[in-house]
Amino acid sequence: MSDRIIRPSRRHVLGGAGLVTLGAPALVRNAFAQSSFNWKRFAGETINVLDVKSSRSDLTFAKHKEFEELTGIKVSAEAIPEQQQRQKTLIEFTSGKPSFDIVVLALHVQKRIAAKGKWLTDLRPMIADGTLTSPDFDFKDFNAAGLTFSTQSDGTLDTLPKFVDYWILYYNKELFAQKGVEYPKTMDDILAAARKLNDPAKGIAGFVSRGLKNANVPVWTTWMLGQGMDTVDKNGNLMTNTPEAVWGAELYKRLNTEVAPPGTIGFNWNECQTSFATGRAAMWLDGIGFAAPLEDPTKSRVAGKVGYGIVPAGPKAYHSPTFADGYGIAQGSARKGAAWLYLQWATNKANQLNMLKNGAGSPARNSPLSDIDTIKTSKFGKEWFDTVLGSAAIGRPGLPVIIPVTEFRDIFGVALTNMIGGADPKTELAKATEAFKPVLEQSEKG
Amino acid sequence: MSTAVAGMSRNYWPFILPALIAVLGVIVFPWIFTLYMSVHDWNVSGTVTFVGFENYQKLFTDQRFYEAVGHTLYFTVLAVVFPVGLGLAAALTFHREFKGRGFLRGIFIMPMMATPVAVALVWTMMFHPQLGVLNYLLSLVGLPPASWVYNASTVIPTLVIVEIWHWTPLVMLIVLGGLANLPSEPYEAAEIDGATAFQKFRHITFPLILPNLMIALILRTIDALKAFDTIYVISQGGPGTASETMNIFLYLQAFAFFKLGYASAVVVIFFTVVILLSLLLLHVRQKTKWNV
Amino acid sequence: MAGYHKSGTKRWIDRLGLWLAVTLLVSPAILFFLWMISLSLKTEIDNIEWPPIFIPTAPTLANYVQVFAENNFGKYLLNSLLVTGGATLIGLAVGIPAGYGLAKMKATKLAGVIMIARMTPALSFLIPLFIAFQWLGLINTIWALVITHLVITIPIIVWVMMGTFEGLPQDLEDAALIDGATLWQSFLLVAMPLSRPGIVVATILSFIFSWNNFIFGVVLGGKDTKTLPVAVYSVLTFEQLSWGPLAAAALLVTAPVLIVTIIAQRQIVVGLTAGGLKD
Repeated sequence: MSDRIIRPSRRHVLGGAGLVTLGAPALVRNAFAQSSFNWKRFAGETINVLDVKSSRSDLTFAKHKEFEELTGIKVSAEAIPEQQQRQKTLIEFTSGKPSFDIVVLALHVQKRIAAKGKWLTDLRPMIADGTLTSPDFDFKDFNAAGLTFSTQSDGTLDTLPKFVDYWILYYNKELFAQKGVEYPKTMDDILAAARKLNDPAKGIAGFVSRGLKNANVPVWTTWMLGQGMDTVDKNGNLMTNTPEAVWGAELYKRLNTEVAPPGTIGFNWNECQTSFATGRAAMWLDGIGFAAPLEDPTKSRVAGKVGYGIVPAGPKAYHSPTFADGYGIAQGSARKGAAWLYLQWATNKANQLNMLKNGAGSPARNSPLSDIDTIKTSKFGKEWFDTVLGSAAIGRPGLPVIIPVTEFRDIFGVALTNMIGGADPKTELAKATEAFKPVLEQSEKG
Repeated sequence: MSTAVAGMSRNYWPFILPALIAVLGVIVFPWIFTLYMSVHDWNVSGTVTFVGFENYQKLFTDQRFYEAVGHTLYFTVLAVVFPVGLGLAAALTFHREFKGRGFLRGIFIMPMMATPVAVALVWTMMFHPQLGVLNYLLSLVGLPPASWVYNASTVIPTLVIVEIWHWTPLVMLIVLGGLANLPSEPYEAAEIDGATAFQKFRHITFPLILPNLMIALILRTIDALKAFDTIYVISQGGPGTASETMNIFLYLQAFAFFKLGYASAVVVIFFTVVILLSLLLLHVRQKTKWNV
Repeated sequence: MAGYHKSGTKRWIDRLGLWLAVTLLVSPAILFFLWMISLSLKTEIDNIEWPPIFIPTAPTLANYVQVFAENNFGKYLLNSLLVTGGATLIGLAVGIPAGYGLAKMKATKLAGVIMIARMTPALSFLIPLFIAFQWLGLINTIWALVITHLVITIPIIVWVMMGTFEGLPQDLEDAALIDGATLWQSFLLVAMPLSRPGIVVATILSFIFSWNNFIFGVVLGGKDTKTLPVAVYSVLTFEQLSWGPLAAAALLVTAPVLIVTIIAQRQIVVGLTAGGLKD
């Protein structure tokens, strides 16, 4: 099964994560379970880190001094915008001599390509090595959703999850109250609610989500997950022209043409955020990390009025689409030991909690989410935390684990924009599936 | 050589060689690499396999590539004609004497100084269909909101507006250079003959600045064909593929999909088109070269 | 005397037309930059207000503070100056003589070869050059960018200078050569001083194109060689609306070039006038 196009089934994945979890106590026992762990072992080395520019990297970078004092290792880090970072990663790995030791990958996009290209170091031996892994690392604490993304189909753990992103439904409580609308229970309800909330005369849209090619694909897969179906099944077959996929695309089309702001065909998260933050959209489907800016009164007109909800159930299933980022160590790195110390530090409990506290995203560890004090004192309110926990419980990857994820998003992204432009979902999906099929087959060859 | 006499053959090669070597030094390797890659396939595991002309065959059956060529031509024609026309008008205007000319000319050329990426990001926000300042300005004069780059049929003209804003000053500067070097005798003669302003422009100014206009035209054509930053930042080729030019198509293949072989084939075709076009323009330029 | 009156009216209409034209020409630039300044001085909440707020009610420098706090702008400025300065100087050193030689030889086809560098889509250079610089150990150095930027600067300088030298009268140089000057002396002492306006324009154009280049810096620049345009794009942070800081950063990047322009503007005017409008 190792060489086919694989998207492991949920059961398989959970089983895999379970195995890892069971193995963990043994690993911990192997470690010198004392405070005598030598963080200074690689003092004097310099490690290069390539991260993605986001509020998460801002938080981590701000604490680099702490790591440098702890270990005596110098960190030379760079965070660049997501799209450029993915290109850089690709070029540097493919050219054979990456200039960084540590890289942050978008696992929902780059997981399979990293495995195929043998980009990263397997972390399992290092976790098992008590001289390299601090006893308070607590591998068990990483949640299943994160480990699902980090574990390759052959069991290799080549990244450490940093951040798990669940897509949620943001809603404007004030607009909902004005029109007496309840939070939708099903995906069909979203459309019904949006119709009630939609008020073009006032410039208020019922629902907003990404329409821009590529960025829009997770919106469609979200609806498709409501039919309990992934875009690529566990045998590597494309499910993108099934009735379930068409149903998702039809919902996508209606939401984007009947109750959306003008121009959503070109909207990325940025434009959606602007519409929602100015009170001009009643609902918005996107990643969980937007709470901080939305609750910031200097950046948002809806601060204090934002409701957070788990993606409503579909006709057949109830899932929250998940995405994740993780840290990896370059296969060719000469400073793997020092790099591993950085990974342990960057994903430790304190830093993961810090990320949650700042609303920069949902952590890949369980412990921060059970930190009662954080939840009580947070400005995001209990609803946001409930949404994180609730989404985590029903999480399912929102994109297929294949090599050409970007092309997948491109081809199906174009199909979806064509639908917003009026094209028939069924025809468009059939066309896109036909176009993508050879790309997928070609990608696993050689 | 020190005894060179006019008319004797003079060796000007030493003047040219350093520049030629510098330029070729940078571009020869990429050319060879591109030609080589265009008949190969390079996958992510780093294996390179010879595939013959497969990449080209695929390219010639790729509907999206043909569409990209169409978008490129549409964009290029608009993004050449308007800046050259307006740049000529601007140069004639700023060539005249008036109070505050230096300052206003400075303001006029500011757009071309501004970093395209930064400017493009600000334009993007101005185009927002719900909250953009441009739709507000339209509403002030009683016009309905436009969807700018958020609509397949208006995206290219909108991108051209940004291009015009950005590069008309460049054309103006080039033409201005020509205007500044105009001899005054023909005008004096025309004045005596009682020629109108338009006649003077048509029969004296225009032929004399034609070489500068040709330079502007060539530079604009090349730059419009190569336009990338603005489109990449503002529309990324969208909505859908509505503004996907050859350059954006190339970018997607090379940097997003990492199909280096296929992308190299695109470069070779793209390059051939540009060369053919340039030869045509060079030919025209030679025809219009003035002799003193 | 009646004719005098008539021409006075005509002149008045002519002036009005001129000012109308000037206003039309400069207003898009003025409005755009004023809007950019306005964005940079407002809080994010005011930047997404509708109807738009043009004059900030409570101007703030917070966006600038944020940009400086989060970025090493001094370093990016230095990088940009080194790359653009280096590529422009080398470009001038080899490009002016080349423009001269090509003009004298009337070698338009050879000029075409140099222009090819400008015609090749920049994207196609990037991956091969990345690999080449890796072999040469130049990755993450200023030199990698300077060398690449020569592709931008040399063709512009060569072409502008070629046009300029073509327009120079040949008799002065012929006289110099007959008097026993070498070709280089004739070039340096006769042709160069006469073509100052061309050199000014060539320098400015090459400087701008190099300064504003984004894509070379993105792929070939490392974290120690990040140039300003790349840094501006990096202000965009996922999940954050940051129009204020973005506008502030954009203005900061543009400021050095604008200052150069305003200073050089006088020189262009003086240079062009002296070169062309003499009787």
